[in-house]
Amino acid sequence: MSSVAEIEITKTQTVQLPLGLLGFERIKTYSLITRADQTPFHWLSVPDGGDLAFLVVPPCLVLPDYALDMSDADADFLEIRNPNDTLVFNIVTLKSDGSATVNLKGPIVINRHTMIGMQVVLSQSQYAIKHPIQAT
Amino acid sequence: MLILSRKVGESLVIDGRVIVKIIRTDGDTVKVGIEAPADIPVHRQEVYDEIQKANREAATRIPLPHLPTFGKPKSPTASTPLSPANNQTHSKTV
Repeated sequence: MSSVAEIEITKTQTVQLPLGLLGFERIKTYSLITRADQTPFHWLSVPDGGDLAFLVVPPCLVLPDYALDMSDADADFLEIRNPNDTLVFNIVTLKSDGSATVNLKGPIVINRHTMIGMQVVLSQSQYAIKHPIQAT
Repeated sequence: MLILSRKVGESLVIDGRVIVKIIRTDGDTVKVGIEAPADIPVHRQEVYDEIQKANREAATRIPLPHLPTFGKPKSPTASTPLSPANNQTHSKTV
């Protein structure tokens, strides 16, 4: 367990990604860490992974009209019946110069009831893998 | 690499659970149909490679000294420059 999870205002939920993230296929269990002082960001961290983590953000804050067109196969895999069943997060990349980008093409979609998720590849979409965030 | 010749309409079976069928050809484009179980993701390689690279670049160590904000003012502690190899010991104070 990371030190972050010991803070009182931190909420931690276990998320299973049975297929892993692309490039991290062997890691299937993550902790979704929500810190009140880091809203709207969350962490997907790897328990016992040496603090390996991904910073994620809900896409509606990046693009209010973000449209996620999942394939039926992916929806079936996650047992998602309607959009209200989902939690959607996009991975943020922080650059050394302080700028940040969000991957809008490979969202992490989680069934909020089972907390099982997957990284969906929106290969037909025009969304960018490195969509810049207007960081202030 | 195993190289096989197939005619349009013919298929390959991989590991008894993945079927790759040649649907049609048009010049240098080949339309391929794939039937695979849900636990075997199928991606176009160039898209897969891009997202894999982005994931590797995004993988980080928590906590970082500061996060970007959406239009809100930075907190007083948020001015520390981000080091790419940041692996600082985290203060547990809030």
